[in-house]
Amino acid sequence: MSMKDVGYRFKEFWDDFRKETSGLIGLGILVLSLVVVLFEPVFLPFKDVDGNWRNISYWQDSPPAAPPAWTNLFAAEKSATTAYLNDPIVEDVDDPDFGLARVYTFKYNYKYDKSPLDIIFRAKGDGMLFMNLSVIRPDGETVYLGQVYEDGLAGDDIRFTVDTDARSSVYEFIRAHASEEAIANSDSSNVKATDIIFAKAGADMLSAREPLKGEYLYKVTIPASLFEDEANRIDEAKLIVTGRVSGVLGTDTSKRDIYSGIIAGLKWALFIGLVTSVISVLVGVLYGIISAYFGGTTDTIMSFIFEVFVSMPMLPILIVLSATFKPSIWIIIGAMIVFYWVGPVKTVRSMALQIKEETYIEAAKALGAGKWRIIFKHMAPILLPYSFANMALSVPGAIVAESSLSLLGLGDPSIISWGQILHDAQLSGATLNGLWWWIVPPGLFIAVMGMTFAFLGFAMDKILHPKLRTR
Amino acid sequence: MSDKSNDVLLEVKDLKKHFAPHQSLAQTLSGKNRRVVKAVDGVSFSIHRGEIFGLIGESGSGKTTTGKLVMKLIDPTSGSIVFNGEDVTVTDKERTQAYRRQVQMIFQDPYASMNPRFKIKDVMDEPLVIHKIEGDHVEHEKMIIKALTEVKLNPPEEFMGRYPHMLSGGQRQRIATARTLILNPMMLVADEPVSMIDLSTRAEILHMMKDVQRDLGLTYLYITHDLSTARYFTDRIAVMYLGRIVEMGRAEDLIDNPLHPYTKALIEAVPEPRTGKVDVIKELPISGEIPSPANIPSGCRFHTRCPYAKPECSSEAEPELMDVGNGHFHACRRYKEI
Amino acid sequence: MDKLLEVKNLKLYYHTSKGAVRALDDVSFDLYKGETLGLVGESGCGKTTTGVALLKMPSPPGRIEPGSQIILDGRDIMPLPEKEIRKNVRWEEVAMVFQGAMNCLTPVYTIGKQMLETLQEHRDMDKAQAEELIKEYLGLVGLPPEVMGRYPHELSGGMKQRIVIATALFLKPKLVILDEPTTALDVIVQAQIINLLKKLKKTFDLSFIFITHDLSLEAEVSDRICVMYAGKIAELGTNQQIYGEQGPMHPYTEKLLQATPLLHKKVDSLSYIPGTPPDLIDPPKGCRFHPRCHKAMDKCSQEEPPLLEVEPGHMVACWRCGK
Ligand SMILES: Nc1ncnc2c1ncn2[C@@H]1O[C@H](COP(=O)(O)OP(=O)(O)OP(=O)(O)O)[C@@H](O)[C@H]1O
Ligand SMILES: Nc1ncnc2c1ncn2[C@@H]1O[C@H](COP(=O)(O)OP(=O)(O)OP(=O)(O)O)[C@@H](O)[C@H]1O
Ligand code: SF4
Ligand SMILES: [Mg+2]
Ligand SMILES: [Mg+2]
Repeated sequence: MSMKDVGYRFKEFWDDFRKETSGLIGLGILVLSLVVVLFEPVFLPFKDVDGNWRNISYWQDSPPAAPPAWTNLFAAEKSATTAYLNDPIVEDVDDPDFGLARVYTFKYNYKYDKSPLDIIFRAKGDGMLFMNLSVIRPDGETVYLGQVYEDGLAGDDIRFTVDTDARSSVYEFIRAHASEEAIANSDSSNVKATDIIFAKAGADMLSAREPLKGEYLYKVTIPASLFEDEANRIDEAKLIVTGRVSGVLGTDTSKRDIYSGIIAGLKWALFIGLVTSVISVLVGVLYGIISAYFGGTTDTIMSFIFEVFVSMPMLPILIVLSATFKPSIWIIIGAMIVFYWVGPVKTVRSMALQIKEETYIEAAKALGAGKWRIIFKHMAPILLPYSFANMALSVPGAIVAESSLSLLGLGDPSIISWGQILHDAQLSGATLNGLWWWIVPPGLFIAVMGMTFAFLGFAMDKILHPKLRTR
Repeated sequence: MSDKSNDVLLEVKDLKKHFAPHQSLAQTLSGKNRRVVKAVDGVSFSIHRGEIFGLIGESGSGKTTTGKLVMKLIDPTSGSIVFNGEDVTVTDKERTQAYRRQVQMIFQDPYASMNPRFKIKDVMDEPLVIHKIEGDHVEHEKMIIKALTEVKLNPPEEFMGRYPHMLSGGQRQRIATARTLILNPMMLVADEPVSMIDLSTRAEILHMMKDVQRDLGLTYLYITHDLSTARYFTDRIAVMYLGRIVEMGRAEDLIDNPLHPYTKALIEAVPEPRTGKVDVIKELPISGEIPSPANIPSGCRFHTRCPYAKPECSSEAEPELMDVGNGHFHACRRYKEI
Repeated sequence: MDKLLEVKNLKLYYHTSKGAVRALDDVSFDLYKGETLGLVGESGCGKTTTGVALLKMPSPPGRIEPGSQIILDGRDIMPLPEKEIRKNVRWEEVAMVFQGAMNCLTPVYTIGKQMLETLQEHRDMDKAQAEELIKEYLGLVGLPPEVMGRYPHELSGGMKQRIVIATALFLKPKLVILDEPTTALDVIVQAQIINLLKKLKKTFDLSFIFITHDLSLEAEVSDRICVMYAGKIAELGTNQQIYGEQGPMHPYTEKLLQATPLLHKKVDSLSYIPGTPPDLIDPPKGCRFHPRCHKAMDKCSQEEPPLLEVEPGHMVACWRCGK
């Protein structure tokens, strides 16, 4: 078959396919998914999510259990969203404390009603470093946050969080403004540092907090003399404003960005679904053809084996398998193939029984064609298009089965799958705590991916199947 | 042909094919054996080199099964097939393959006898590939073009790239014929090659097949239920009934002077393009339908439908084919009286 | 004789993506009461299409074009709404035995059940009544009542065809269209079915439209023969006019007859019509038959010959046969 024929047949198929709305929807979603997988880094806010999904420190700068950022649209009081400030203004100034100093200034425009949860300064340092950290508020007030002193650094992380490291300093700011009475009435341990920083200063700033909107300057001041020694360096200074709402799909209780998890899980869903269905359908189709073509005792034995596999319940056995062996995606796929290959057998066998009786098969025999030539040249190419539909139809099954396993905690820990996200949500009682953004998206994506392939499969089935019957 | 009349190419002797019906385990255990289907039940004939031999009969009389036996597509239950002086009833793989080069088949349904996914070029190439005919594809292409020219498909190149569904029934049957010719066979088995072809093309295909037969000196086994085309197309005719030959002879002899009541009935039933028969209910000498080959009547197997049957027809042994001279055989014990 | 059916300027086009297939183009004919009219022609000439058009049931994407008239018993059924057609015309007045219908019996139901369903769809009857009627009709077509309990695969082709015929007669139609009712059967069964049809026609006082591509068969059943070519009527005449001594007039009919092998005449070679019927999306200009016609002249490729009455009751559409 030349390229031109393939093109011709494809065009013929496409002309029919175009008329199937559901198939087109399926195809659209599939193409979109493939684009996402191919250009995954573009879509991932956390680039290294693969391999770090279970690494707690990777996620430490994110807020825990934060709803998606867009929930602000529906909220009366807007919450600060997570912001990443990566480009500080660096200037050398005359500092009252240090004399000549290098100052890193991060500008943050606060326009919300509810303050961020935290402000985290991060940098990489070498040698010895000493710095003062402070915030200049839109009202001109300066909140002194604290200082960092580190020695013997070798490209190590420097991390300073307002919420924990600046508590006492911020308390000083309260004392300077709030009334004695109010301070006495309040429980200092309950005061959140960021709440104070982003509140209007005043006597009642503890009881009746009002947001102070405007531009905040977060300043990191380092004595310039420090840098006379080449060994002392500071790099990649950045500021993370940890919002109360975060990302496209929020975060889970372990601070993980759910959107990143979903995007990274897409390729695994496709991989598991496609590999399982392609291999099992090919095996099944060949099995069906051989069983039908040879007939007689071969057919009887092969049909018996088939029945045995059909009557085995898949999920329980998969559970036992994954519980016994170290859960690995390969074992899961392998085990699923063992169960899925039976899918097309029955139909293929009965169709092959029909095709076997076709005159052109008899004609080929009369010309002297052997059995393998008939199986591979005459029968398989006719049943293959049918199996495309079958492949598409068994993808959802595979995706759901993997998810079910993961949901039971038997997933491969080295990958991210939607089922695992659901599993974690369930473990943390996401439903009880109202963390819907942790449950709905993975569930929805499993459903949509399943539907996509089901749509494709039905459309292909509809187009390719009647052709087969009417020749 | 008389000079060649002793030169027998194919001889079939007492050929039988009994199909054992499918039985479930339960049926076997309960001892309720279903009867075997005696599709072909003792057929003997010989075909001379260069002859067109017609096999005629009602649906279910065993014509196709006989054809398949001759093609060695199925194995006979008993009997022998001698081809070109060699017994080919039982052959090993190699010998079967060689036999397939010498005896080829054209099927009834031109719409079904070619893989719908093969282009005509591939359809034609298949026998060459199967039999590992020497030559690269340029040489193969030449052979294909030659065969297509033989069946008068012009221009041959134009058909090679088409799929079977892009051709008319007549064109397909030409391709089917060309496909069998490409291996230079000695004999063709044609199973109702024109019964599914349009009336205007039917004559054209038969004409072409006859030309090819004359040009290449082929021998045909022509299977049909259409006596009119058999009259035109064949040299000799054998009439089959329920797996057996009941009459055999030269085409004109047999049709103008039928001896067996079954042949008479067949001839009677053929419609003819003559006026004045609209208001006539045709007198059919036989009634009912052909009995099941799983349950063949005793004695003369035709006695259940025969208008001339006498008690001895059912009680006595089945009549063998008898020669009345002139190469005209029949199997009716009462032929003189009717 | 009374006219049962008048067809005037019937046009049925299949509107496919490649263009309109002009399967019936301006076809006009009459059918008298008690008559059998034969439709013959090559495959694809529009025989089946004529049949379904008379039931006002074109298969998609077919459409009966405006201007067509089908006058049944004096009433033009073209303007009638589908509901009325279904209630009072289709199956009730005009029934059709479809091409290959005997192979379309559902394999999973018994014959009795299938016949019962068809009957109860149209007639308010309890089961016992219906079964009585079915038995009566089975008897009429020469089948024993046991057949009701059988499945289609247990029956021979001839028996299945008898069942299909019985089903078509249930509602006592006046006109039955028989589309290739014997094509898949062998000669003896074919002759039996033809005899049966002739008897039924008398019993029920029916008119038939008998569709076949077998000219010999048509000679035995049809009072008048309508020869179609490429969606048009080429010749229409009485049995005598087509098959009689003087022979048909249209070159197409003439050739078709010559291509029919005869049982009692040994010929060395049959003549045949070269080429194939035209594409009905873009039929040839002038006479549609001219590219294959052995008598064609210049005019034939320019102007379309009208269907003219060349002798009483004999219509021919050919420039060579003008008065
Ligand atoms: N594989 C089979 N198994 C069982 N019965 C068979 C098989 N093949 C054929 N028969 C039976 O053998 C009988 C003869 O069949 P065969 O096809 O040879 O008839 P035929 O003369 O070619 O008829 P037709 O004109 O319908 O083609 C039939 O009754 C058929 O049902
Ligand atoms: N549903 C359809 N869509 C498109 N074209 C059609 C359709 N049905 C029939 N045709 C075309 O209309 C023409 C007439 O078809 P029709 O079935 O009436 O022919 P016919 O004379 O009955 O042929 P046959 O002897 O093969 O049954 C043919 O060219 C056919 O291809
Ligand atoms: S009109 Fe011309 S082309 Fe047509 S049939 Fe008559 S002679 Fe032939
Ligand atoms: Mg046969
Ligand atoms: Mg038709």
